[in-house]
Amino acid sequence: MVPASREGKRKKAAFLLLPLAAALFFVTAACTLTSPGRPQWNDSSVPRSRWGTDPVFTPARASFGQALREFIGSRPTEVAQPFDFSHQIHLSKGATCTDCHTSVEQGPRATIPSVNTCMICHSQIATDRPLIQQMTAMAEKGVDFNWNRVYAYFPESHVRFEHAPHIRAKVECSTCHGNQAEQTVARRAVNMDMGFCVNCHKQKQASNDCLTCHY
Amino acid sequence: MDRRNFIKLTAITGTSAALTACGNPENQIIRFIPEDDLVQGVATWKPSICPLCNAGCGVIARVMEGDAEVFRNGQAGVVRMGLAKKLEGNPEDAISQGKLCARGQAAIQITYHPDRLDKPKKRSGERGSGQFVDITWEEAIKELTGKLNELAAANDHASLAFLAKPRRGRRLELIAQWLLSYGAKPPVTYELFSDEVLRRANASAFGSHQLGTVDLENARYVISFGADFLGTWNSAVAQSVAYGRMRQGHGNVRPKFVHVDARLTQTAANADEFVACKPGTEGLLALAIAALVDKTTASAADYAPDKVADKTGVPVAKIERLAREFAANGPAVAIIGGAPLAHTNGAFHAHAVNTLNRTAVNKSGGVLFIPQGAPVATRSLKEMIDTAPKVLLIDDVNPVYGSPSAWKVADALKRVPFIVSFGSFIDETSALADLILPDHSFLESWVDAAPESGSLKAAPSKFGPVMRPLYDTRSTPDLLLEVSRGLAKPLTGLPNTFEEYLNTERRGGTSVPPARAGASKEAPLPYADPVFDGDVSQYPYHFMPYASQGLYDGSLAHLPWLQEMPDPMTSGMWCSWVEINEKKARELGIEQGDLIEVTSTQGSVRAPAFLNPGISPEAVAMPVGQGHTNFTRYASNRGVNPISILAPTTIAETGTLAWSATRVKIARVGGPETDSLILFGGATRERPDWTHGRGDEH
Repeated sequence: MVPASREGKRKKAAFLLLPLAAALFFVTAACTLTSPGRPQWNDSSVPRSRWGTDPVFTPARASFGQALREFIGSRPTEVAQPFDFSHQIHLSKGATCTDCHTSVEQGPRATIPSVNTCMICHSQIATDRPLIQQMTAMAEKGVDFNWNRVYAYFPESHVRFEHAPHIRAKVECSTCHGNQAEQTVARRAVNMDMGFCVNCHKQKQASNDCLTCHY
Repeated sequence: MDRRNFIKLTAITGTSAALTACGNPENQIIRFIPEDDLVQGVATWKPSICPLCNAGCGVIARVMEGDAEVFRNGQAGVVRMGLAKKLEGNPEDAISQGKLCARGQAAIQITYHPDRLDKPKKRSGERGSGQFVDITWEEAIKELTGKLNELAAANDHASLAFLAKPRRGRRLELIAQWLLSYGAKPPVTYELFSDEVLRRANASAFGSHQLGTVDLENARYVISFGADFLGTWNSAVAQSVAYGRMRQGHGNVRPKFVHVDARLTQTAANADEFVACKPGTEGLLALAIAALVDKTTASAADYAPDKVADKTGVPVAKIERLAREFAANGPAVAIIGGAPLAHTNGAFHAHAVNTLNRTAVNKSGGVLFIPQGAPVATRSLKEMIDTAPKVLLIDDVNPVYGSPSAWKVADALKRVPFIVSFGSFIDETSALADLILPDHSFLESWVDAAPESGSLKAAPSKFGPVMRPLYDTRSTPDLLLEVSRGLAKPLTGLPNTFEEYLNTERRGGTSVPPARAGASKEAPLPYADPVFDGDVSQYPYHFMPYASQGLYDGSLAHLPWLQEMPDPMTSGMWCSWVEINEKKARELGIEQGDLIEVTSTQGSVRAPAFLNPGISPEAVAMPVGQGHTNFTRYASNRGVNPISILAPTTIAETGTLAWSATRVKIARVGGPETDSLILFGGATRERPDWTHGRGDEH
């Protein structure tokens, strides 16, 4: 039997070690891996890249926060977007998903439409609304929306998702994206962890081979 | 730590993480509307041409959508566009045949290089200070047309000079036509590792002023005199493919490959037999073999094995055996390239090998000359310097780095009143320019090539852009045409665009007559001992600068993949080194990594020693490529430039630099310095016999 006082000390040590180990992990993750001969960027006058990130591929994250969020798997349900787009309005007016997400049937990505796609209709429709006017001004300047991603896999998951085969298998968009008719900007309606994918693949008798989804 | 403290700590960490995330710069980036209509996530392959050497390999680029940092309407931002992501050899191309060398693979880094110039620049500081300010294209074009108008008004058209790479293709033709239309002299071309000596020898022996294609695939016996044909010489990809077929395609017969050199190159390491030969005597060995193979060879008696054995260092018995093998294992072919051609007697060596090849011309397993348009008339760098131009346009050539310091090219350029560079990067030469008008990268523009060798039939090619331009750059040929229209007296007879020019038939210029086989019965050039700069007693070692497998002649030192690529023989990367014979070095008390000073009559450089059993004890070698003073973050102030200490000796027949004609002395000046010799691992394991079995020295 370990004396109570020693057990307490061990617990204390474990508590101390945990944040230390976590801190060490993040510092390592944030540091760029260097090769023996690679230039050391000591000279502050040398620009790193146009956006301040390292130009060489690195497992490091752009920020400490990003590294932390990915480590603990934290993903927000609501994602702040630069524009108050409403799926609900568009679907209620009779638009369908594929009208805007054009390549969902053709390729891996559903594609978030550019302002040009919006302007196909909105050069005529609802041109008096402030939001539409704001968007028209952007289109004239050649500037697009900088949407933030709602769904995506962390690179470490090594998942390669393709939309087109799922559409061909008649999986409804709402299965993964929830009822968009109730949403303005898209929310994370479904927690797409591996269990979610595997269950559906089982039900539909689709392959559950690792290489079907992972690379 | 109790639970309360732990929770506090977690809260603090979380808050700081959230705060850091607030500063994420990505949210402030301007995003432009995509210009391409792409199915996302689906790759397409588009053809182009690798621009890195004269081989003109056809490549295919994998194009997929991606977010690119671009300049549009003078604003920086991000756009989703089709981006070239990977280069491979084009299987449809007669030169590359679906393969690509390491340099070609790295060519993609030109387009995405962080130091690539993204808009026109005007010099703001002293010449050479590297200080430039951004200007608009309108201002830049106005300034250039102004200078050209001034020359024209003074009726001084000949004071315009254009310095370009000696590429076969329609880009150089258009430049020549543009200059002709303006009234200036033909373009000036310069390259360090020039094969002009061999072209001239081919013209006199076979009537073709070009490099031949060696049909390695069908040869059964190949003897190479210094040609690094699997690495850096001529069309290395095509030659490597053919070499592979030679090795595998003859059933039970194994063709033999003999390499003659003073240093074990990558190609030499592939040879069945390595023959050590004294630098500058390779042609003697070739003529001795030719004389034994065919007794009717002119001056055969002068090149009897016993007469050349001493000079070349190759024993009589070995020469006789090589000749027997050469005669018995047809088709047999000889190749010459690289260092032997860069001696003062380079023309002799080229003629000698042509004599050995005289029955192998235009035959399967021999040397073939593909039909070619007449080459563009050009002038030499020296001629340009002597004529002191007033306006100089430079298209992607860097003679300030790539010529001996004794030529004083930088000083000559500083005397030119107005210099315009079209380079995509600031290098030692474009740093002297008054205006830099950056070209598109090759993936963003129309490209063409008319390779002079590498395939068995003519393989000219032209391709459109693979992707849209990332930055505010302009295609140089199109810019020249735009400038020509804006002159006070617009130039006539020129196309509207480079695309239009490429899509019209080549005008004028007769095709080169087909090569004559067996023409070289005439007496070979008389042998003259190579002249070396530096007295042998003071400067005991032959200096052998060689084209680096990655950085080639130094023009690729800005590509980090190539810096990171270990040299195949030494495994050196990111650095310079001096190769010294292993035993010789030990005798001199030199250990691996020791700092060595290499001194010629022209100056000295310091680099770490690499103890190499694969180099003659009488020579020291250094890879060319490092030692840039101003060439992007990856190449600047890294290693030393061996070209700088070369003697300004030229080859009489061509006026090209004799880069093998320098002698040096070496001295250990210090112990190993941290990170000065960076080796990936291993070393040269093969130990060639430098004494042909005598074992009396080293």
